[in-house]
Amino acid sequence: MADPKYDVIVVGAGAGGGTMTRVLADQGIKVALVEAGPMLDPQKEFKTHKWLHDYGHRGTEHGGKAYFGKGQAYGFLRTINGGWELDGEPYTSAPGTRFDWFRSRIVGGRTNHYGRMSFRFSDLDFKPYSRDGIGWDWPFSYEDLAPWYDRAEEFIGVTGTAEGIRSAPDGKFHTPPEPKAHERLMRVAGKGLGIPFIANRRAVITRSINGRAACHYCGQCGRGCLTESNYSAAQVDIFPAVKTGNVTLITDAMVREVEVDSEGLARGVVYVDKAGRVERRLEARAVVLAASACETARLMLNSKSKHFPDGIANGSGLVGRYLMDTVGFSLLGTFPALENMPRYDTDGFGGAHLYAPWWLWDGHGKLDFPRGYHIEMWGGFGMPEAGSFTPIARHAGYGAELKRLARQMYGCLIGLSGRGEMIPNNQTYMDIDPDTVDRWGIPVPRFHFSFSDYEWRQARHMERTFRALIEAAGGKVLGIANPERENPGIAVPGSIIHEVGTARMGDRPGASVLNQYCQAHEVRNLFVADGASFVSNPDKNPTLTINALSWRTAEYLSEELRKGNV
Amino acid sequence: MSRTTGFVRVDSLSRRGAIRRIALALTAAGLPGGMDRADAADVHEAVEEERTFAGEYRVKYFNGHEFKTLERLSELIVPEDEGGPSGREGGAPEFIDLLASQNRELARIFSGGILWLDHTARELHGHAFVECSHEQQTGLLDALVEAERTDTGSNTARETGEYARFSVFGVRRPSGLRGGLEFFDWARRLIVDAYYTSPAGIKDLGFVGNASHSEYRVSPEAIAHVVERGPFDEI
Repeated sequence: MADPKYDVIVVGAGAGGGTMTRVLADQGIKVALVEAGPMLDPQKEFKTHKWLHDYGHRGTEHGGKAYFGKGQAYGFLRTINGGWELDGEPYTSAPGTRFDWFRSRIVGGRTNHYGRMSFRFSDLDFKPYSRDGIGWDWPFSYEDLAPWYDRAEEFIGVTGTAEGIRSAPDGKFHTPPEPKAHERLMRVAGKGLGIPFIANRRAVITRSINGRAACHYCGQCGRGCLTESNYSAAQVDIFPAVKTGNVTLITDAMVREVEVDSEGLARGVVYVDKAGRVERRLEARAVVLAASACETARLMLNSKSKHFPDGIANGSGLVGRYLMDTVGFSLLGTFPALENMPRYDTDGFGGAHLYAPWWLWDGHGKLDFPRGYHIEMWGGFGMPEAGSFTPIARHAGYGAELKRLARQMYGCLIGLSGRGEMIPNNQTYMDIDPDTVDRWGIPVPRFHFSFSDYEWRQARHMERTFRALIEAAGGKVLGIANPERENPGIAVPGSIIHEVGTARMGDRPGASVLNQYCQAHEVRNLFVADGASFVSNPDKNPTLTINALSWRTAEYLSEELRKGNV
Repeated sequence: MSRTTGFVRVDSLSRRGAIRRIALALTAAGLPGGMDRADAADVHEAVEEERTFAGEYRVKYFNGHEFKTLERLSELIVPEDEGGPSGREGGAPEFIDLLASQNRELARIFSGGILWLDHTARELHGHAFVECSHEQQTGLLDALVEAERTDTGSNTARETGEYARFSVFGVRRPSGLRGGLEFFDWARRLIVDAYYTSPAGIKDLGFVGNASHSEYRVSPEAIAHVVERGPFDEI
C-alpha cells in the first residue's frame, strides 16, 4: 500500500463520523474528515435567543416563502442546511411507494437540530429474534455495549433518573429539570392507566462538563446552542478533534465512491469538490463510512470494481436491504384545565421533561404486534410564530373576539407522539436508480418502502392509548395531528428521520455486511459508523447508539491499525 | 425526532373542524422540535434583517393610500384592547409591505384586494374604505366574515374547508363578496402573524420564554390552576 498522508478517511461529519474522528484523533491517528456540506460557524449561524421580530420577514423568509410551502424545513430559526429536497440532488421512489429522505449537509449534520432523545437499547432490543422469532439478533448483547453507552453518555451528557425499567436501561445521568404543569397532569393520567411517565433522557447537560456550560433552559436546542449545553457533533466532537492537529476537515466534498486496490482492499475515496466541480482523490489505510444509512449504502453500491461488481463489500447482496424508519403516530388534545393558565416559562431544556418508555415489554403475548414504542409529549406556552394563531383568527373572524380567544387557548393543548419499532422486511430497501444522477454526476438512491401489519397494528394501539390518556387527563381528542404526515394513521416512511439498517452487522458473512465491530466482512479496512449497521430499529431514537457503536468501532479500528492488521 | 411553524400545514388541511386547526396551530408554537415540515429548503438565502421596530421603515411597495388602508385594517382586525395595542403597532403594515415588495403573488393579492375593497366600499357607501365611518368599515368586515362562513366556493373556503358544512346542509347564501375573501384571509393572516410575533403581541399572550435561568422552576400557581380545574387532586 502507498504511504498516505492520512491513516483514516471518515466520510460524513455527523454523530457517527464526529465520534469516530474525535476518538481516533485523541489517539494520534491522522484523520481526513470529509463532509458533503459547508463548514459550520455557530456564532454566525445559530439563531440562539433571537426573536422573530428581529427579522423583517418574521421568520417567514424572503417574500414570505414559508407561506407557500417553500420555507426551511422545521422553520427559519433552526440550523439545518438541508431538508427533504436538495437542489440538484434528487432521489426517487419505486412506483406506489414513498420514502421521505431528510439530508442535512453541514458539519455536525442532523445533530445540529435533532430532538436529542437519548435512550439506550435494552437487553431485549439486542436479541429480538430470540424472543419472538421475528427479524434477527444483533451479534452482541447489551452487556457488550453497556460500557460504550457509559462512555458516550458521560462524554456527551444525558439527563435522566434511575428507574429500573428493563425496557429502558438506566445510564450515567445528569439531573433532569422538573416536569411542567401539563406534563404532571399527563403523568397522573398515565399512572392510572399503568403507563409510567419518567424524566426525559436528552443529550443536554445540567452541570458543566468539558468546558461546556450547563443548560440555561431557553428551550432552543434545535437552533443550535452557543453555550454548547447540548450535544452536537460539530461542537462536542469535531471542533475539539480538529484542535488536536490530527484532523484535516474537508468540506463541500461529495464522496462518490470507495476505490479498491488490486487486492480488493479500500485504497481511498473519490469525491467531487463542489466548489470547482472537479473530482479529487484521497488515500488512507482505512475508510470509515458515516454518511447516514442511506448515503452510506448508496456509496457502497456505487463503488463498483472488478472485485465488487455489485458494490463494495456487497457479496451478500444485503447492502441497501432492510431499510427501517420509526413507526410514528401523534394525537392531540385540548384541555379545559389548561385554559387561561397563569403564564410561566415552559421552554425548559428544549423538549418534554417527561416521557413514557415502553411499559408492556413483558406483555406481548396479549398484544397483536410484536415490539414496543415510547411516548413523547408536547405542549406549553411556545414562542408565537407566524401561523400559530391563524386557525383561531379564522374561527373568531376578526376583532376583539380574536384576541380574547387567542389568550384563552394559548398553551391549552397537549400532544402525544408514539415512536415505535419497525420490523425489517424484504419489501423495504434502497437500490440505485439506473436512470438518474445528481448534479455531481453520482447515481441516486431509489427507495422501496412498505409497512407491514405489525407497524399498522402498533400505530392503532398508539391511537387507543393516546385517546385513553387524553381523556383520563380531562382533555378532548382533536383527531389525528399532522394528518399530512400521518398518512393518515401512521407517519410517512422516512419522516421520523430514523433511517437505519442498510448494511447490517452479523456473524455470518453471507447474511450480513459488517461484523460486530462494523468492519466489512469482505474488506478489512472498510468500516461503517452510522445507523446503516443496525440489525433492528428499537423504539429508541438511534443517535446515542450510533455514538456508542462508533466509539466501540473507533477503539477496535485503532487497535487493528496499531497491530498492522489494517 | 420530529417539528415548526405550523402555518404551511394549517392552510392545506381540508374538511376538518375549525377547532382542530386551532389546536394544530397553537401546538406549533409549543413544539420542542417542529412537528411539521415544509417542502423545500433553500437554506443559505441571505436574510433580510431589516428591523420593523427601528422606527425608520421606508415603504417599499405600496403607495400612500394602500399603506394607509393596511394600517386601518391592522387596527380593525387586531384592535387595541386592555391586553395590548393594535396590529398596526405590531408592525403589520410594514411586514406586509416588505413581503409584497419581494413576492409578486402577495403583491397581486394585496394590491388587487385593496382595489376590490375600495370599489366595494364606494358601491356601498360612496367612499374608499379608509374614508368610511368606523361602523361602515366594521360592517364590511362583518359581511366578509359572514360570506366566508356561508358562501362557499371561494378559494379560501375551498382550501380550508372551514365552513364546508354550511353548504352541505344547503345553507349557502350568495354574498357577492367572494372576490374579496382571498384578500381578507391573507390580510387577517399576515396582520395576526405580525402582531403575535411583535413585542406587543408576545406581551399580550404572556410568553415569558426565550430567557436564561440558572435553574428551571415551574410556577406553583400554574400547578394550582390545573389541580383546581382538572380531574386530579394533585399533579
